Amino acid sequence: MMSPAILSHEPWGTLPSGEAVPLFTLRNAHGMRVSISELGGTIVSWHAPDRAGRLGDIMLGHDTPGEYWQATAYMGALVGRWANRIAGGRFTLEGIEYSVDRNEGGNLLHGGAAGFNRAIWQAREEDGTLLMTLDSEEGDAGFPGNVHVEVRYTLDDDGELTIDYRASTDAPTPLNLTNHGYFNLAAQAGADIKGHVLSIDADAFFEVDSTLIPVRQAAVAGNAFDFREAAPIGARLEWPHEQLSLARGFDHCYILREPQAVNGNGNGGGNGGQRPVREVARLYDPASGRVMTVSTDQRGLQFYTGNYLDGVRGRNGTTYAPHAGLCLEAGGFPNQINMADREDVISRPDKPYRQVTKYRVGVLG
Amino acid sequence: MTKPVAPQKAHRIALLFNANKVYDREIIAGVGQYLLSTRVSWNLFLEEDFRCRLAGIERFDGDGIIADFDDPAVCEALADCRLPVVAVGSSFEDPAHYPAGVPYIATDNLKLVSLAYTHLIGAGLRHFALYSLPLSNEHRWAHQRELAFGRLRAAEGRTREQIDAEIYRGLSTSAPTWNQAIEQLTQWLDALPKPVGIIAVTDARARQLLQACVIAGIPVPEDVAIIGIDNDPLTRTLTRIPLSSVIQGTEEMGRTAAHLLHQMLHGARFPGRTILVPPVGINVLDSTKHQPLASPYVARARHFIRQYACQGIRTEQVADYVGVSRSSLEEYFRRELQCTVHQDILRQKLDAAKALLVKRDMSSADVAVRCGFKSVQYLHAVFRRELGCTPREYQEREKARETA
Repeated sequence: MMSPAILSHEPWGTLPSGEAVPLFTLRNAHGMRVSISELGGTIVSWHAPDRAGRLGDIMLGHDTPGEYWQATAYMGALVGRWANRIAGGRFTLEGIEYSVDRNEGGNLLHGGAAGFNRAIWQAREEDGTLLMTLDSEEGDAGFPGNVHVEVRYTLDDDGELTIDYRASTDAPTPLNLTNHGYFNLAAQAGADIKGHVLSIDADAFFEVDSTLIPVRQAAVAGNAFDFREAAPIGARLEWPHEQLSLARGFDHCYILREPQAVNGNGNGGGNGGQRPVREVARLYDPASGRVMTVSTDQRGLQFYTGNYLDGVRGRNGTTYAPHAGLCLEAGGFPNQINMADREDVISRPDKPYRQVTKYRVGVLG
Repeated sequence: MTKPVAPQKAHRIALLFNANKVYDREIIAGVGQYLLSTRVSWNLFLEEDFRCRLAGIERFDGDGIIADFDDPAVCEALADCRLPVVAVGSSFEDPAHYPAGVPYIATDNLKLVSLAYTHLIGAGLRHFALYSLPLSNEHRWAHQRELAFGRLRAAEGRTREQIDAEIYRGLSTSAPTWNQAIEQLTQWLDALPKPVGIIAVTDARARQLLQACVIAGIPVPEDVAIIGIDNDPLTRTLTRIPLSSVIQGTEEMGRTAAHLLHQMLHGARFPGRTILVPPVGINVLDSTKHQPLASPYVARARHFIRQYACQGIRTEQVADYVGVSRSSLEEYFRRELQCTVHQDILRQKLDAAKALLVKRDMSSADVAVRCGFKSVQYLHAVFRRELGCTPREYQEREKARETA
């Protein structure tokens, strides 16, 4: 049974503008706690017990709101309106060609320069859950439609953090939200994720070009991307594969297996029909015994091994090195707004956006 | 007219492993998984008894070889092999030890030992030791695990001399020296500060350690916590105290080796490429479920019980020794061990009786006397209640297991 988590908030720090930012904390009956900020809807920390019951922070992050404001690694951030990339910052919708922020070379990345990760959300408690809301005006980063976003964070006594996204719009617009949390289940300064063992329920992934835009679907069978059987990430980073050289590691979107058809609505896409939430990935750290499962109703899972965490300033004066953490970001496909099945990532006044993704952290052995 | 497409000729691949060992078997399983996942079909050459034989390997009329290079003879036999070869084996601290010219898939010894070590620290231990193997060319990995242990201990500020005292190689296993080996092992165990967490370089070594502890009456995991490497199911069935063990990334080693060879069959070359595969888990069982006792009274009482249980002591004597009232001591035991003092004494006596029955061909009557049971009838009653058999049946069962 789920008991409402205890929610508290305390002062955290200030932004360069002088605005004070509090930190909200969800706690469960076993002392697990997740801290979330109105700045970017960011999951700042997640303290979870290891095999021996000792709490450790499994999220990478920075110390102060000011550092989050200035950083470029999207640590723990709620990313929108468009997670990942849009090629050339362009797409066509209802016959109109749109040009949005190009903040990474020629492409849009993570909602552009003024993405949701730098917005100040409005937080409030509702029945032991944390509800964050944000209004994004028409023209933000060049996107059409006034969009109202509500994201609810719930922590239960099984160690499961549910992120429930809903958004409504007054005009058709692409929407693709995700959480960009970097996990390291070892929860130790200086540890990398190469010893983590990962499985992903996907038969295919998107190969990318040199600007990390998907170019083709490829099977995972017989190459480094095959995580259908659990494999240690460190070994896979060493398998020869030109996609790994190109991205300096994994930074690729997996095409998750479609769940069994429910109510005859097999692929679920197109008309806002919702897929069931199913377990899609599992991450295990043998040293701490911590294990995390990811469940989602989304089609894509971006697996990123923190390849560009080179000298990024972390917590308590530490500096992160490449592979200090990894992301498992559920969402639509990168650049899907320019793919054949774009309708799946377009929200409309009569077709609100919805995503449910759950990260559950426990211990094994 | 179009010619029918000829079915692709299956490559002939030799797997040179001693698959009578769980480590080698799992690597081969990994190769099999890779082939299944890709629908690549190889004609696999394996000796029928799963033992690696090198005679005539240079005349093997095939397309490629995956081989266990831990065996120096394999390393040598394949030195001039013209076929694509992928080597599998131990990691080396000094990269000069890797064979030249071939890709090498290594089990990461530093990560294996570090995982075991971290686990023991997590279990609350503060003293550590490593039970290794005598130096030998066939067991270079054991020496590499010593180096890994030394590195981890040096990082904690231990001196070379202190680290040397924490590492024990013992004797190699052979029937005539078994008793001597156990005796020397017991001496080393006795000399270690307690409680101590010991990493054994393999499960086979861990089993010997467990046995020595049982024979010497050293409680596992209270005084000595033990973790092995391999997660060998056979070893698990042979130990009375279920053994914790590090699970090597063997299947991933097999998949990785198969993947590289697959690429090589299509012209790719990876000379000198080393891929380290970390362990994929720990099977945590009783041998490391060490719980530091919060109450010094309980620790003191158990120390006394361990030494004198077999002399027929009663709860009052334990309470006197500790210097608290009987009722307080019972309360401490209930809180920390969820049992009474009497139950703990009885368990100790029973463990001693079991050890005697197995170690020596002793009669029930003698065992009853030696272990402080008031009568042989009472010994029988306790065995029936706790183990569901007579002492004799227990003895026969264990003997059969040990010789199996």
